[in-house]
Formats: sequence, structure tokens, C-alpha cells
Amino acid sequence: MKITEYGLMLLIAGVMAVIGNKVGYSPTVPVGEAVIGYLIMVAITLVGIGVQRVLPFKLPIVFWVSIVAILSTTPISPIAKTVTYYTDKVAFLALCTPILAYAGLAVGKDLEDFKKISWKIVIVALCVYTGTFIFATMVAQVMLHIEGVI
Amino acid sequence: MDVVKSWRIHVFALVIVILTELIGTKKITLGPATLLFLPMLYAMVIGAVVSWPRLKLLKLPEMKASSAALGVLTFMLITKLGVGIGPAIGKLLNSGLALSMQELGHFLGTVILGLPVALLLGIGRETIGATYSIDREPNIAIIAERFGSDSPELRGTMAVYICGTLFGAIWLGMFAGVMASMNIFHPYALAMGCGVGSGSMMAASSGALQAAFPEMGKDILIYAGASNLLTSTIGIYFALFVSLPVTEYLYKKLSPIIGRGPIHQAASKGGTN
Repeated sequence: MKITEYGLMLLIAGVMAVIGNKVGYSPTVPVGEAVIGYLIMVAITLVGIGVQRVLPFKLPIVFWVSIVAILSTTPISPIAKTVTYYTDKVAFLALCTPILAYAGLAVGKDLEDFKKISWKIVIVALCVYTGTFIFATMVAQVMLHIEGVI
Repeated sequence: MDVVKSWRIHVFALVIVILTELIGTKKITLGPATLLFLPMLYAMVIGAVVSWPRLKLLKLPEMKASSAALGVLTFMLITKLGVGIGPAIGKLLNSGLALSMQELGHFLGTVILGLPVALLLGIGRETIGATYSIDREPNIAIIAERFGSDSPELRGTMAVYICGTLFGAIWLGMFAGVMASMNIFHPYALAMGCGVGSGSMMAASSGALQAAFPEMGKDILIYAGASNLLTSTIGIYFALFVSLPVTEYLYKKLSPIIGRGPIHQAASKGGTN
């Protein structure tokens, strides 16, 4: 996929995220500020994807996008305050709704394959997701206590 | 397949988002637990109905484009989590040990709960592929390479992968909401639990936590984001070098004892164990 395609796709979803932000999560935030916040995040995301492409060794895009995003707001970053101020205006949940809408719209392509799966594997799948969530939570609970964070 | 040019999916997504955000978050209390219904969960369900093949509203390439769009948009969540982590780096280092250790829970939790259940249900070698990891895209590649594309192990991985695509997010979103309402674990610990290494499942579960503890919303995203970053970068290596051998070992040891599949019965009759 071309970088421009990534950018356009992020902008299309941005319309939805900004509307959702206003309607659902941050009614008091001016739309203009949310738009700026969203555009800053688009820029960070595209830089992250770009970095992954130009480097000769391969690490997941998720890693580079994270690194660019984190660096942009660490205390050493000259633009940290601006980035934090504006990106704060876009609620996390406002970004989630369009993503899961697309996830839903993709469901049809997997239904035929799903019909071939035994109900037993469905139960196993639920245990797999529950297991990874709950065991990590349990370890975190114990360790956070030991470290005195909670 | 041109993601941007598939304009019908964008129109559907836009209508779905506006509709679901207008409905807003709803809570239903059931005894000690609260079920949290977030707009993103309705969005997934309505989207699924629209893409239902019988309705013929969407064509297969459009569904594939939706899936590609989902992939692109997940990076925005990563960015949102990242910009939250930046100012809190110092705070995160205070819980550095918890953050690194809980990854063991992520990497091995799938096996600990999934493997015994799979064996008790009588599933054969599919168990290995199904339970060794959370079975997202990179994990499929590991199994395909190790066992071949026509192996029972790969069938197990693919089955869990498909289930994850279909209802992983809804399941973990609801589950995280219930856990949040039960006051067993600290919200920070639950937040770390959300970093399962799948964008949509992480979004649904940490979104549910954020809705349950709005006053801790920022911290929840910091811990969930940091945990997810670790899971999705180290996870693939851990799955390959640790989780898979451990799962194979446990399968070999446990299937003669609690396995109920025809293969295990035959094996135990043969007296090989």
C-alpha cells in the first residue's frame, strides 16, 4: 500500500472520529482543536510507517509508529506540549468506533470459513483470549503490589 | 483491491459511527457485575449485519477492503497510545518490573487456559496451533512454516484466528467491563491485561476499562499502550522460541491423561504411554 493511500484512509476515518468525538465523548471540545489533534496523529502515524519502510532491517510497523509517537511527547521533544495538548482533544473511544465498524463490515468474508469450524474450537478460542487477558492481569496485580505502585 | 476507492464501505462506516455514537454507552447491572455496551461494540455488530452475505449489500472485495482499512486504522490507536506514553515514561519505569513480568501472563495465558480445555473437549493436534498464542497474523506464519500448510496445527490456528476476527473484540470488551465492575483487580493491572497484541481486542477491552473508570482514563491508556507495545514486538519471538515448544511439550504430556480425542484413546490402548 502506498503512503498516500494510508494517509487518505486515515483522513476518511478522521471525519468519523471527529464526529464521534463531538457527539459521543467530548461535546465541549471545539471541533477545530479535535481536527488539529487528529491531523497531528495522522502525521505521526505516517512518519512511523515511513521510518519502517526506509530502514533496511524489518521490525513491525507497530513498533516504529509507537516509537515516533512516544518520542514526540517525551520531555526531550520540543513539540511535546503542543502534541499533547491537541491529541488529548481526541478521545480514544472516538478512534475505536470507526475501527470496529470496519471490522464488522469485514465479517462477511470469514463467515463461510467460520461455518466449517467446530463449536469446540469456538470455546477454545474464547479461553485463549480470556487466558491471555486474565493471566497478564493477575501477574500485573501481584507485581504492581510488590513495586508499591498500587 | 483499492481501499480508499471502495467508497461504499466508507459511507456505511460513517452512517454506523454516527448512529452508534448517538445511542451512546449503556450499562446493565447483573448482580455483582456490570455489562458495558459501548458504541464500538454496536458498530461491530451492525457492520457484521451489513456484511452478511445473504443481504448482498457488500461484495467480497469490499469486505476485504474493510479488513485492510481496519489494519491501517489500528496504527492510529497505536499513535494515540504512544503520545500518552511519552510524558509518562518516568511513571512507567516505576512499574517496569510489573510491565515486563505481566508479558509472561500474555504469552503463556493462552496455553494455561486454552490447552486443558481443548484436550478435555477432545481436540487433537489442532490444540497446539489453537492455544500456543493469541493467533493473529504473525502467529499464523510461524505455524504454517513449522507444520506445513495442510497440518492440523495450522487448522487450529486458523480457526482461532477467524473466531478472533469475528468476536474476539466483543468478547474481550464485555469481559474487561465485567472484570472492571467486580473490583477484584486494580484498574492498572487490568489495563496491562488489555495489551493482548491485537488492535481490535485491545481497543475494545481498554475502551471498556476507560468507560468504567473515567477518572483514571489517561493512566489506563498508558499502561494498556505500553503493554500492547511489548506484546506486539516481543510476542512474535516469544511465541516462536518459548510458547510453541512449551505448548508442544504440554500437549505431549497432558493429552494421554486428559485428552479424549480418538487418537489419544487409540494411543493409550496401544500401551505406548
